[in-house]
Amino acid sequence: MDSSIIRQLRKIAGKDAVLDRPEELMLYEYDAGVDKHRPGAVVFAQNAQQVSQIMRLASEKKIPVVPRGAGTGLSGGAIARREAIVLSLARMNKILEIDIPNQRAVVQPGVVNLELSNATAKYGYYYAPDPSSQKACTIGGNVSENSGGPHTLALGVTVNHVTGLEIVLPSGKIVEFGGKAQDSTGLDLTGFFVGSEGTMGVVTKITVKLTKLPEHVTTLLGIYNTVEDAANTVVAITQSGVTPAALEMLDGWMVRCVEANVHAGYPEDAAAVLLIELEGMKEAVEEQAEAVSAVCMQQKAREVRHAKDEKQRQLLWLGRKTAFGAVGRVTPSYYTQDGVIPRTKVPYTLAEIERISKKYGLIIGNVFHAGDGNLHPLILFDGRDPKQTENSKKAAKEIMACCLSFGGSITGEHGVGMEKMGLMTAMFTEDDLEVMVRLRNAFNPESILNPQKVIPDLHFCREITGPLPKAKVEPVAEVSAGRMPV
Amino acid sequence: MSALSSPASLDRELSAIAGNANVSRTGSGGFNINGVVPAAVVSPASPEEVGAVLRLANDRGLVVAPAGGLTKQQIGSVPERVDILLSTTRMNQIEQYDPGDLTVSVAAGMPFAEMQRTLSEHHQWVPCDAANLDRATIGGLLATGASGPLKSTFGHMRDFCIGVQFITVDGKVAKGGGRVVKNVAGYDLMKLLTGSYGSLAVITRANFKVFPRPRQMRTFICSFGSLEEAIKFRTFIFQSPLTPMCMEIISPRAPEYLSDPGPVHDPDDYAPEQPLSLPAIEWQIALRAAGSDNVLARYARELGSAVAHTLEGAEEERYWSWISHFEQSVLARHRNAMVIYTHLTIQGVEPALQALERVAPDYNLIPAAVGRAATGHLVLALMPLSVDPPSAMQYANCVSAFRGMLPPGSSAEVAQCPVEAKLHFDVWGTTPTDVNMMRAVKRAIDPKNILNRGRFIV
Repeated sequence: MDSSIIRQLRKIAGKDAVLDRPEELMLYEYDAGVDKHRPGAVVFAQNAQQVSQIMRLASEKKIPVVPRGAGTGLSGGAIARREAIVLSLARMNKILEIDIPNQRAVVQPGVVNLELSNATAKYGYYYAPDPSSQKACTIGGNVSENSGGPHTLALGVTVNHVTGLEIVLPSGKIVEFGGKAQDSTGLDLTGFFVGSEGTMGVVTKITVKLTKLPEHVTTLLGIYNTVEDAANTVVAITQSGVTPAALEMLDGWMVRCVEANVHAGYPEDAAAVLLIELEGMKEAVEEQAEAVSAVCMQQKAREVRHAKDEKQRQLLWLGRKTAFGAVGRVTPSYYTQDGVIPRTKVPYTLAEIERISKKYGLIIGNVFHAGDGNLHPLILFDGRDPKQTENSKKAAKEIMACCLSFGGSITGEHGVGMEKMGLMTAMFTEDDLEVMVRLRNAFNPESILNPQKVIPDLHFCREITGPLPKAKVEPVAEVSAGRMPV
Repeated sequence: MSALSSPASLDRELSAIAGNANVSRTGSGGFNINGVVPAAVVSPASPEEVGAVLRLANDRGLVVAPAGGLTKQQIGSVPERVDILLSTTRMNQIEQYDPGDLTVSVAAGMPFAEMQRTLSEHHQWVPCDAANLDRATIGGLLATGASGPLKSTFGHMRDFCIGVQFITVDGKVAKGGGRVVKNVAGYDLMKLLTGSYGSLAVITRANFKVFPRPRQMRTFICSFGSLEEAIKFRTFIFQSPLTPMCMEIISPRAPEYLSDPGPVHDPDDYAPEQPLSLPAIEWQIALRAAGSDNVLARYARELGSAVAHTLEGAEEERYWSWISHFEQSVLARHRNAMVIYTHLTIQGVEPALQALERVAPDYNLIPAAVGRAATGHLVLALMPLSVDPPSAMQYANCVSAFRGMLPPGSSAEVAQCPVEAKLHFDVWGTTPTDVNMMRAVKRAIDPKNILNRGRFIV
């Protein structure tokens, strides 16, 4: 990166707030997904004014900027290409206000997801969206990705919990969308912005809803001798009229993998387990637990275990939340997918994944949000073996084709980023994408912010957007070895 | 009518797109939008036909008003003109419904209640209890972001809508989202279009996630001697383990409008059931709970002596329909009433209701309010006294005085008031969201401003 740019960044953010040495930049060349690129510089902004100055400088010099939180994303959204500036919001990590009477919190983007729930628990409230990386990921990143998590089945994803945003536009202008009220007069730009993956503006302040902690929580573990029975249970629970707070599935391979790692108490000979959580008023939870157990048994569960106490409940969840890490112990590389299918298609799709696994001779583990049909097949391979790498890509493609054939989605919560950009045309027509580009350009007209993400560079993009910033022409590297997500 | 095209030639071209029988001329005395009569009405049968109509309008610079069941067309500023009223009502089929997946895909012109009837056969619903659902269409409800008391728990249309097909002004059939309940591929156009009042694109289809319908509900109506006591009770509920599905606050004069429509007097005559000399002071909070016998028994136990009435079954359903139709009930009796929708913080509810009660008498208006106590969405009615009806300016001054008393960050849009009064103030008012950014979005997708020109905030 041009040394005069580095000097100007230091002038804006401070001497210790800019990294430009290769060994420093190496730490910012990846996220928790598969892509890898080294940025030109990393700058840590400490307030919205600095973000604004940085954006103004970048716009003037036509240097791409990629906003970044904790770097736990799985789709390359926070990865910058060469000669781009990574704008880290990690130092803007203050909880600005906890407003219990209004059931809101106002936070800076670098606040870690779980820290907000920890800070509000003493008032009887928490922040509901709970991505598996919640110990590390930031709320700013969650806003950009519209993150989900196991407990979004009943309570919704990030967008359902954000009511206000302060945004710095690529021009450097600071604007406000919404506030502490649930919504406001006019276009819902708050809702539209959430999930825009850093391509419309840089979030510098977020107002979120706080949710009352439930009076009672119960976690059940359904144990199955076949994957099919477990998958059928998911459909049957959905139809029974009970909406669990969470409904997660791990297949037998994942169960053994997790047990070897954290001893969560899953039976190692099971073909699949369902982790079902119910929450609410005590009376309701007890009745639902009974109803759900009955459904599990009807669907040929071998056994349904109830967590006896909070410690056991936490242990069951530890198994689920560390599943990805557990996989990292047993394989040099893996590739996680995030396809979504209609819930009734879960049994068929799992059988299809099994067939694809056999076809390519690759282990595919399944740990996913069964309740909303959001699959996370993990394809294991050795990145040093070109044949395996090749096969893993073919397998991934076949699984995605299967999801899409049911009218599903390429991503339920990980985002498109750079990783799934090529798949967008499988879901959307050129007309769909053109509308999206026009709307993005209302915010980010010159693609200074997070260029070459989310929407593939189709012919009309150039027509609408005009000349591209110079870093946009860098080729996207091949899928490299998988990294361990948090 | 644009100088570029004569009425007859426009009719011919619209007929060529949608067929003769589906193009009409409203003429004076017909349907109007705040007094403005649309020059032509066209009802296309498909997204492609909608595209052809929009392309034609865009090429000629004709102003288009998308329309469904015509239940909310009077909301908004007075349009300078409407060249084409584009009705979606011929696109009215359920396109896909799989109860097992809890998703449904519906054409925009279908009346909401019709879809809901199909869902109820499987004990499912889209939890929206806005008004006039027999006529209001899916597209119209989305475009206006309509909601009712269930918004407290379930949110509104934007929170159930998982996919949308829409037509842009250049005739493109485009979509956002999909048919699965969790999906972050591409930008969230469902959020952008919900509540955009037809100013960005014409919605032709929507996909929703549906929910299991509660099998049993009960309503507890609690009475209080003052607003302050009612708000204290709300805090008690927030701090309790109870999670009511709806929590409505009802102002002293509102119960008069919570009933089946009675004989209509002179629509401008304020004729209370009780004489005004006995000022109503009782505030109510109505809680609607869903669950088993055990759960409902727990409610009764926790609420104890605060409960004045308990409603069940058909009586309960009817009561909530009255709440949803409070605005309609007011307007049926007072043609010149003003209705305001608020967006407030939870703590903003009390000052907003105080402001209403304080401001109204200064302008010879009688206040009544019903609304979501837990989320700050209130429906405020101001009824004129027939003996001394307010002037157009008085409506404007009343709104401005009321808005001035709201806590910062609030917004209050005037949903209904006499057309003459609308010319004296901005019906949309201020909003915490950057209006320039809203306008940039509008320009990006409707550069000639042909969709609902002059009616919405953008």
